[in-house]
Amino acid sequence: MVFDLFLGCVIPARLPYLEVSSRKIFEKLGIELRDVDGFSCCPDPTGIEQIDHKTWLTLGARNLSLCNSNGGIISFCSGCVETLKGVNYSLNKDDEVKKEVNDYLNKVGKAYDGKVEVKHFAQVLYENLEKIKDNVEKPLEGFKVAIHYGCHYLRPSEIIEWDDPFEPVTLDEIVKNLGAESIDYDLKMECCGNPVEKSDKDLSLQLIDNKLKAIKESGANCVVVVCPACYQQFEFNQRELNKKNNSEYDFPIFYLSELIALAFGFIPEELGFKFHRIKPSKLFESINFTV
Amino acid sequence: MNVINFDFRNEVLKHNASLSYCYQCSTCSGGCPIALITNGKYNPRKIIEEAILGLQDKLIERQDPNPWLCSTCQRCVELCPQNVELTEIFTLIKNRCFENHKYPEAFYIQGHSVYENGVAIPYSNAIIVRRKNLGLPVIKTAPIEEIQMLMKETNFEKNILKGTE
Repeated sequence: MVFDLFLGCVIPARLPYLEVSSRKIFEKLGIELRDVDGFSCCPDPTGIEQIDHKTWLTLGARNLSLCNSNGGIISFCSGCVETLKGVNYSLNKDDEVKKEVNDYLNKVGKAYDGKVEVKHFAQVLYENLEKIKDNVEKPLEGFKVAIHYGCHYLRPSEIIEWDDPFEPVTLDEIVKNLGAESIDYDLKMECCGNPVEKSDKDLSLQLIDNKLKAIKESGANCVVVVCPACYQQFEFNQRELNKKNNSEYDFPIFYLSELIALAFGFIPEELGFKFHRIKPSKLFESINFTV
Repeated sequence: MNVINFDFRNEVLKHNASLSYCYQCSTCSGGCPIALITNGKYNPRKIIEEAILGLQDKLIERQDPNPWLCSTCQRCVELCPQNVELTEIFTLIKNRCFENHKYPEAFYIQGHSVYENGVAIPYSNAIIVRRKNLGLPVIKTAPIEEIQMLMKETNFEKNILKGTE
């Protein structure tokens, strides 16, 4: 099975170290990801779609039209997955929409039939859970993980068609199988607040502050995410909140791929952990996790 | 004064007929993380009510409640007992705000970047070096002429170049 890799904008152009761990674990699992030239922004379902739905559909369909691997598309970003699945959904639901979008695409010599399958990387990982278990060399003992599913990994369920929209299990299962503990916490299913930053920064901070408070109370010692928007929201705002409110947040934020890579025996140096704002090294020391 | 605009109401209904099933039960607002903390500034039920009534001026000009405060978490869509596609309707309203050049600056910045570069975040020189050092491949993004041709066809070009008020 080969997947076309849809990188999107945020990970490759701002957080490339998250791409490193993601590529490494798929290679280790023997799942081939093919790089494709010529993609544009997915476009952002919380940005471009909100200002121009038609352009969002058209550029999304153009991206999908570039794919031909037998596994379809895989993406490391929940936003890209929501867009690409959403475009498929809209085109397949309404022939008029499909025709209109294809009329645009034809002007640049392209066409799209709505048939490319789209998968979130965490879905592919869950579907390969047995293989993941086989590759765990260093169980993540002492990791008390607050899992943040994020919104677009799950909803709208009619479009995403993966896991339960309010009581999901897939990420918990993966994390547990790495030897880590998944810590339940209040507000686990709440939005991180990142999309609303574009309109109201204070409101966005309030949402992430509420989540971090709940995580602190739960006794978790780190957070895991599967979306670069959520990642930035958790990683970049803890210090700002500490300054503003005298709080003491210092949770290392891991991408799911980073946790898996650690369990597979990769070392922080080759995963670019030095680029994290909140360094995971402190956590490793406190739980005697030798890397 | 609130003026009912029947054309606007019919346009929303034509775009998304699920609007007419709303019986204003407020399940959406009860499950909305933003409504919970904004004290009336954002309220999905109210936006739907104004759409049913065709209050174009309130929704597009005055933006009361402010549709841009939606975090797109999709809880309301999931919870609605009548299967009203709230976020699709909010998207239509925000699209109309865009056409009227009344929308937050950050959306302009992203839209303009995609128009100029094909991507929301272009690769800076520092990132190109960092990618190389991390052993990551060089990624060729979309030919910009092609993206701009599509954006011209969909009218995005015209609207984004006018900017926001």
